[in-house]
Amino acid sequence: MTPAPLLAARGIVKRFPGVVAVDHLDLTINQGEVMALLGANGAGKSTFIQILAGVHAHGTYEGEILLEGRPFRPTSVAQAQALGVALVAQEVNVVPELSVAENMFLNSEPTRFGFIDVPGRLAEARRILAEFDVGVDAAARMGTLDLATQQLVSIARALSKKARLLILDEPTAALTDNEVQRLFERMRALRARGVTCIFVSHRLAEVFTIADRIVVMRDGRAAGEYPARADTRDDVVRAMLGTTIAAEHRGDAPAARGDAALEVRDLYARDPDQRRRPPVSGVSLSVGKGEILGLFGLLGAGCNELAQAIFGAWPGAVEGRVLVDGCEVKIASPAAAIGYGIGLVAQDRRESLVHEHTIAENIVLACLATVTRRKFLDVPKMRRLATDFMQRLAIRAPGIDTPVGTLSGGNQQKVQVARWLATGARILLLVDPTRGIDVGARHEINQLWKTLSQEGCALLLVSSEAEELVDVCHRVTVLRNGSAVGDLTGADITEERLLRLAAGV
Amino acid sequence: MLGLGKLRLFGRDAFRDSTLLVVVAAIWIFFQFTTDGTFLTQRNLVLLALQTSIVSLAAVSAVMLIVTRNFDLSVGSAVALVGVVVAVLTVNLNMNPVLAVVIALGVGVVMGAWQGLWVTRMGVSSFIVTLAGMLYFRGVSMIATSGSTIAPLPDALADMATGFLDPAPSIALIVVSIAALAAFQWLGARRAQQLGLLGNNLAPHLARRMVPFVVGGIAFGWLASRQGIPYLVILVAAAATAAEIVMRRTPFGLQLYAIGGNPEAARLSGIRVNRVIFIDFLIAGLAYGVTGVALTARVGGAVAGSAGLFLELDAISAAIIGGTSLTGGRGRVFGALVGALLMGSLNNGMSLMNVPTFYQETARGVVLLFAVAADQYRRTRKPSARKST
Repeated sequence: MTPAPLLAARGIVKRFPGVVAVDHLDLTINQGEVMALLGANGAGKSTFIQILAGVHAHGTYEGEILLEGRPFRPTSVAQAQALGVALVAQEVNVVPELSVAENMFLNSEPTRFGFIDVPGRLAEARRILAEFDVGVDAAARMGTLDLATQQLVSIARALSKKARLLILDEPTAALTDNEVQRLFERMRALRARGVTCIFVSHRLAEVFTIADRIVVMRDGRAAGEYPARADTRDDVVRAMLGTTIAAEHRGDAPAARGDAALEVRDLYARDPDQRRRPPVSGVSLSVGKGEILGLFGLLGAGCNELAQAIFGAWPGAVEGRVLVDGCEVKIASPAAAIGYGIGLVAQDRRESLVHEHTIAENIVLACLATVTRRKFLDVPKMRRLATDFMQRLAIRAPGIDTPVGTLSGGNQQKVQVARWLATGARILLLVDPTRGIDVGARHEINQLWKTLSQEGCALLLVSSEAEELVDVCHRVTVLRNGSAVGDLTGADITEERLLRLAAGV
Repeated sequence: MLGLGKLRLFGRDAFRDSTLLVVVAAIWIFFQFTTDGTFLTQRNLVLLALQTSIVSLAAVSAVMLIVTRNFDLSVGSAVALVGVVVAVLTVNLNMNPVLAVVIALGVGVVMGAWQGLWVTRMGVSSFIVTLAGMLYFRGVSMIATSGSTIAPLPDALADMATGFLDPAPSIALIVVSIAALAAFQWLGARRAQQLGLLGNNLAPHLARRMVPFVVGGIAFGWLASRQGIPYLVILVAAAATAAEIVMRRTPFGLQLYAIGGNPEAARLSGIRVNRVIFIDFLIAGLAYGVTGVALTARVGGAVAGSAGLFLELDAISAAIIGGTSLTGGRGRVFGALVGALLMGSLNNGMSLMNVPTFYQETARGVVLLFAVAADQYRRTRKPSARKST
C-alpha cells in the first residue's frame, strides 16, 4: 500500500550568510504517519521545519512545497497555521503571565461584536483540553504549570487550529520518562485520528518507539529513509554519521596518567526553577594530570550543565563532592573555582571576552591581582605577560593592543585559554571550544589541547561533535539524560560507539 | 474617579489590587489624624481626584507601553508641546476651541507615530527614542513660545478642566454606569451559563462581583453630592475604562501582554510584533494629546518650561506601584490608577500637613522603592509557597 503524500518538498535550498542550511532537500510526508526527522547538529532539520511552519517566509528559500498537491507558500506563521501546518517549538514558547485559555487562543481569539468572547474562549479551551485529555484548568496561569503540561497545552493549542500536519521539535528534551510516555500516548491517539506528525528528536530510542518512518538529514539533504524497525537501527546510526563510520581513534596513546587533578563524585545540578528533572543527576568522573577527558552527550544530556556546575556557574542548586588534587573543595562561585586553579573556556566567546578590549586586557582580566604593584596596575608587567602568552599560544594578531573583537574565532579562543593559563589554572573545562571555528583553526586548537596536556594540565573537553573527541581525547565519558552511561578509552573511542551510547541504542 | 471598580473585569489580580487599596486606606487614615480631619472631607477628596487626574491619564498609556517592555520618557515634554499647540491656536490665532483640541490630538498622534517609527522601523530602543523625545519636544516648545507663558485660554476650554457636572446628573451618571456594568456582568454570566461554565443560580456570582462596584458607587455618590463630579475625573474614568477594555477584551490588548511576556511566543503565534508596537505608540500619542489638552486647560495656559515636568516619572511610578512589571507581560490599568492615587494622596496629605516640598519628594522616592521591593519579594516567594501546598 502506498499512502498518499500529504506534503512534498522538492529541491529546497535555504542559505544563511556563510552557510547553506538546507541543500536541495527532497522530502515526502505521508498522510497520517508519524515521521521522525533525525540528524546531527547543523544537519538542517530545524531550518526545514521552520520553513514548513512559515517562520522563514516563502521567497527566502528556493524550491517548491506541495500540500495535498497544491503549492504551499506560507509567508507567515499565521498563514501556515491557517493552511493546517503547526509547529510546536523546541523551547516551550508560552506567555507565563497569561492563562492557559489565553495562551491557547493567542492571536486567534474568538470575538463577539469585536470584543474577545471570554466565556466562549474558556469553554472552547476546556473542550479542547478535555478532548485531548489534558487535565488542566483552562483558567490557570500558564506559569504555574510544569514544563510537560505546558508542552501538552502547546500541542493541544496547535491542534485546535485544525492542524493536519503537526511538527514537534524535540518535544521530549526537557521531559522526564513518565512525561515522555504521556506525550507518546497522546501522539498515538492523534495518529489514530489521522493527524500527520513530524517528530524531530536526538533520542534514537524514542524515535523507534513512536515513529512509523525515519528520515535522516545530513548536511542539509535527506541522507536516507528507513522504516522504524529494530533491524534498521544500525543503518540509521550509520546514515547520521555519514561516511566517517570507520574512523578509528586518532588520538595519541593515552598519556601516562598522573594523579587525579579533578574528581567529581555523585554530582547533581538541580534545575533553577525546580520545574524539570535535574539536568545533571549523579555523575561521577575524574580527570588526571596530563589527561584529556572528553564529555559527550546529545542535547539535554547535561554536559554543559556539568561543566558549569563544577565551575560554580550553574544557577541552580548543586550537590555532590568535588575534589581538586585529592582534597575536597566547595566551589560556590567562579571566583572560588579560579582560586582552585580551574578555568572555563566558554562556548560563546561573546559572553566571556570583552570584545572592545585589547588582547592584553582580556588576558589579564582574571589575574588582575597578580599584575599590580602597590595596588596599582603594573602595566609593563601586564604587557610582558600578554606578549609571552601571545607567543606561546601562537595567537595571530598585529599585537597585544589589537581589540579582541577583530580576531578570528580560533584566535579568540586562544585568548580565553591564555587568560586561564595566566591565572595559573591547571584544570581547564572546555565547553564546545571549537564551535563555529573553521576546520584549519580547529585543528590548531586541538593541537593546543594536546600540548597543554603534555605540560601536565588536566582538560575536560565537552563537545557535541563526536569526531573531535575521537581525534583529541584519551578517554571519553558519555552522558545521557543527566547520568553517565559509559566510559571509552583509547582505541575504543569511535564515533559510532559514542553516538550509540549517547542515544541509548 | 467614577467607576474605578468597573475595571476589575477579572478576579485574577483582585488580591493584589486589594492589598494596594489597603495601603491607600492606611495612608488616608494616617492623614485623617495628622490633618485634624481635613483630609477625608468631600472638598479635599475631590481636590485629590483632580490633582491625580493628569498623572492618571499619563499612567494609563504608560501601562500599555510597559507591558510590551517599552518605555516612554517623553510624556512630560510631549504634553508640554501639545499644550503649546492648543494655546497658540486658541490664544494667538483665536481658533475655535473644539477645532484646536482636535488638531492638538492629531499633533499628539503624529508625535506618537514619529517615535513609534524610530522604535519599530529603525530598531532604536524605546528608552533612547523617548529620551531624545523628552529633550527635543521640550526644546521645540520653548522655541515656539520663546519660553514665555501663553495665557489666558478661552473660558470654554478652561471650563473643560475646571468645571463640574452638577450633582444631580453626576449621581445619575454613577447610577447609569453601575447599572450598565451590572448588565454587562449579567450578560457575561448568562453566556458562561449557556456554555456550561456556571451553575444554574447566577445570583450569588453576580452579587459577589457587584459588591465592590456598588460600594464604590455609593462612595462616589457621596463625594458628588456636594459639588458634582469634575469633568476631568469623568475624562480619566472614560479613558481608563476604554484602555482596560482594549487591554483585556480585544485581541490587540492580549497581543500587547504576549509581546511583553514572551516575544518569541508572540512571534511564533503569528503576531506582527512591530505593527502592534507601532499602534501602541499611536495610542500613546493620542494620550499625549488628551493629557496635554487636559493639563493646559487645568493650568489655564501653556508654560513650555514647566508644564508636565517629571510627568513621565510619575506615570511610570504609578504604573509600577500598581503592579505593572518592568520586564513586561503584567500590568493593569486599574492598578496604575490606584498607584497614581497613592502618590497623589502622599502629596496632598503632606501639603495639608505643611511638610516642605523637599521632604515630599524624598518620601515619594522612598515609597516607590519600598513598593517595588515589596512586590518583587512577594513574587519571588510565591512559587515555593505554591509548591508546598
